[in-house]
Amino acid sequence: MKYRSYLILLISIPLLAFTIHKYYISLCEVEYIPEKQSVQIIISHFIDDLEISLNNEGQKNLFLATNKEVKNSNQIFEAYLNKHLKFTINNKETTYQFIGKEYDDDLVRFYLEIPNIEKLTSIEVENTCLIKDFDDQQNIIKIKVKKFNKTLYLTKNNVKGLLNFQQNN
Amino acid sequence: MKKITVAILSLVFLTTALFAQENSQEKVRQKGHYNSSKFKQLDEELPTPNKQHTASGAPGYEYTQQQVDYKMNIILDDDNQKIFGEETITYHNNSKDALEYLWVQLDQNMRAPNSKSNDINGGGPDVLYTPAKFAKTFMGKPFEGGFNIDYIKDANGNSLNYMINFTMMRVDLPKPLASGEKFVFNIKWWYNINDYMADRGRSGYEPFPDGNNLYVIAQFFPRLAVYNNVKGWQNLQFWGSSEFALEFGNYDVSITTPKDHILNATGVIQNPKDVFTKDQYKRYEAAKTAFDKPVFIVTPEEALAAENGKATSTKTWKFYAENVRDFAFSSSRKFIWDAMAVDFNGKTVMAYSLYPNEGNPLWEEHSTKVVANTLKVYSESTFDYPYPHATSINAERQGMEYPMICWNGGRPDANGKYNDRTKKGMIGVITHEVGHNFFPMIVNSDEREWTWMDEGINSFVEILAEYKYDPELFPLSKYPKNIVRYMAGDQDRLTPIMTQGDNIFNFGSNAYAKPAAGLFILRQTIMGPELFDHAFKTYAKRWKFKHPTPADFFRSMEDASAMDLDWFWRGWFYTTGNNDIGIKEVKKYHVTDKPTEQAENLAKRYGITVDQLPPSLYLISEDSKDYTDDIKGKKPEDYSVLNSYLQDNFTAEEKATLKSPKYFYELVFEKPGDLVMPIIVEFEYEDGTKERKQYPAEIWRLNDDEVTKVFPSSKVISKITVDPDEETADVDTSNNSWPKNTETQFDNFKKKQIKG
Ligand SMILES: [Zn+2]
Repeated sequence: MKYRSYLILLISIPLLAFTIHKYYISLCEVEYIPEKQSVQIIISHFIDDLEISLNNEGQKNLFLATNKEVKNSNQIFEAYLNKHLKFTINNKETTYQFIGKEYDDDLVRFYLEIPNIEKLTSIEVENTCLIKDFDDQQNIIKIKVKKFNKTLYLTKNNVKGLLNFQQNN
Repeated sequence: MKKITVAILSLVFLTTALFAQENSQEKVRQKGHYNSSKFKQLDEELPTPNKQHTASGAPGYEYTQQQVDYKMNIILDDDNQKIFGEETITYHNNSKDALEYLWVQLDQNMRAPNSKSNDINGGGPDVLYTPAKFAKTFMGKPFEGGFNIDYIKDANGNSLNYMINFTMMRVDLPKPLASGEKFVFNIKWWYNINDYMADRGRSGYEPFPDGNNLYVIAQFFPRLAVYNNVKGWQNLQFWGSSEFALEFGNYDVSITTPKDHILNATGVIQNPKDVFTKDQYKRYEAAKTAFDKPVFIVTPEEALAAENGKATSTKTWKFYAENVRDFAFSSSRKFIWDAMAVDFNGKTVMAYSLYPNEGNPLWEEHSTKVVANTLKVYSESTFDYPYPHATSINAERQGMEYPMICWNGGRPDANGKYNDRTKKGMIGVITHEVGHNFFPMIVNSDEREWTWMDEGINSFVEILAEYKYDPELFPLSKYPKNIVRYMAGDQDRLTPIMTQGDNIFNFGSNAYAKPAAGLFILRQTIMGPELFDHAFKTYAKRWKFKHPTPADFFRSMEDASAMDLDWFWRGWFYTTGNNDIGIKEVKKYHVTDKPTEQAENLAKRYGITVDQLPPSLYLISEDSKDYTDDIKGKKPEDYSVLNSYLQDNFTAEEKATLKSPKYFYELVFEKPGDLVMPIIVEFEYEDGTKERKQYPAEIWRLNDDEVTKVFPSSKVISKITVDPDEETADVDTSNNSWPKNTETQFDNFKKKQIKG
């Protein structure tokens, strides 16, 4: 009977699509600030979706955004993001600092920063968050570098996007 | 006075002439175009009004609607999960047309082994497969679902010719059914009930580890399709997602279940003494005056006792329902039943909840109270709830509505504990499904065609009802910005709201959240509650127990409010565009009586000297080279040209009421977004006080990209914010403030983190 309750969690989401307002989108806003030599990243997920994805990866009983939330949730989030959200800057895979998270109604936002980027020539984003958990998952990446704006729509068929910037001094 | 008018007139003429001259110098010949204004009336999009659906949005004097009455005997076989039925259908042809055949909906055929409903879905492998699903998908062992029709006979017992096309069955009539006549026929059928937990069905049964089943029985009998004034027969197939179109009628239904089952259905129990124990019957009657709080009809202890036994005998429940568009029922040994009476101007309506012990304590704390709250708020927005009861039933992973009864998911964990999100989900789904009693069970739009008409309109009233129930759990501030992310998404994966329900991406956002957010903006920001509420109520009352179309809704909202909303319907419902308005430029002007450079140029073009210009005041920009410090701080009435005018034309009392602006701000608003929307501006002054100004959406009618306004002020403005409360679903707020906000959201957050 344990088997059944495990299933319920997983299947419940597609069915809810009939009845409750539901769509599978995450938004990742990336902005390069030359004055600070920093790439600022804000990625937001639906808390419910993320909790299911974490459950699927073996992280149970998290009670996210409740007063029973596990103490080490930030570590769990950070590990999840490190696994699923990767940046390659100027052709080098780059790590980011986990600044923190904030809850906003049914959303959770993560603030990440890649410091010490003197010059930005290319940026590649790989985002596999929630992709294997929800067939329809769409991860939107908005990249802003000075006056340049670009939006990428990543799905299970296409989890990576690359942008090159021409430097014409 | 006359002299001034002439001067102004000629100045206007002069400017026009000047523009004409500039244009004529252009070499490229410009192309003509159709009317592409976003304010163009919807005459080409909306169907031509007629005597059935009028131009005002009301039903016309030739409006007709069929009636279909059902008498049914149903047997629920709990041992084998089968259901058997015999039904007598009386079809009243109230239309002006003679009908050669009737279309009957066989929704269960969606689950038949030869069903095509999965064949239309593309996509790669599923993430996981239940054994049942795996066998069904890959091993040729499909679930033996779908209707088995034993016979179809006329009132005299003669077999009728019929043809089944997937979920639609054509029953041929022996002779055409003339207008005003009725036709009586009988159908005998049965089918295997699906385990909806395994196949994600919209009805079926929920199995429990203790061996009991909870039956969610809906779209379970052959039901007449709608024949109406706009579609003729509505016989679009049921693919599983777009819901139903049904006629109103009266239902006389007997349901035989195991003796220890508890059951409720659409309609009122006609034999309560036969189906309840003596104690339960007493409580059932006593509940009719329980106006304060819910009371039990079937107690948790009785439900526990029943679920541990298993009766071999049966009993028969008799129901009668008047003027409903459908019939559904729920049955189980596990049901607790509580009840509360709600008063509607002297008429008592019962709010009921049925749930297994697994649903407690959450369900006994909230369900019936939520039902009562929903009925009250919706009734205030539309009309008094006309049915005798509204029932919320707890079935896991459901959220589905039928007249008077609906099923809703949400349960605490095995220890009876639940968090705020479970509670919120459960209250939300109950409010939503009970709310469907109004839309579409009574205001009976065609769900198969227009999902948004029931889901979107219902989701909108749901917002108001949830807020009333628990304003902390359901704050209004969430709307309409909840739709921003969806509307800012990939245009390749967006469809206009005005798209048939089977052909839309993101069902939930497109058909629920977006129309609801749109109506929220209309009510809170564009029309205001007073105008909106009256118009909305007008629509609901006009189409109560009838079949409205989108045009009836759009037209009624305008007809009852004197607001031209075609631009809003056009943008929000007929396109996938989004809203983005920003403040592009702000320039500060002062008042002076010295002709500015522009005035001098004007005089020159006019062939006159500056002195020959009529006595005037001028606005001079701070960055102009002619701007001097002595202009700063001058009030308009410091200038004799204005002062003498005021002396001549106003009494002292009148003068005291005049405003005295000192600064004049030229505001340039930009609109990168496709939609037109009102511009809401908040001005913050140096002294910290604030003022709001809202420009109607019509400000965009002559320029869709940019508009300029002059805003007079007696104080210096330190900050300007467009849409400060985020009430217009603006998808990009980075251009919403002046001076431009250079601190990013990220910087702000980081600062907070460091402060700790
Ligand atoms: Zn709904």
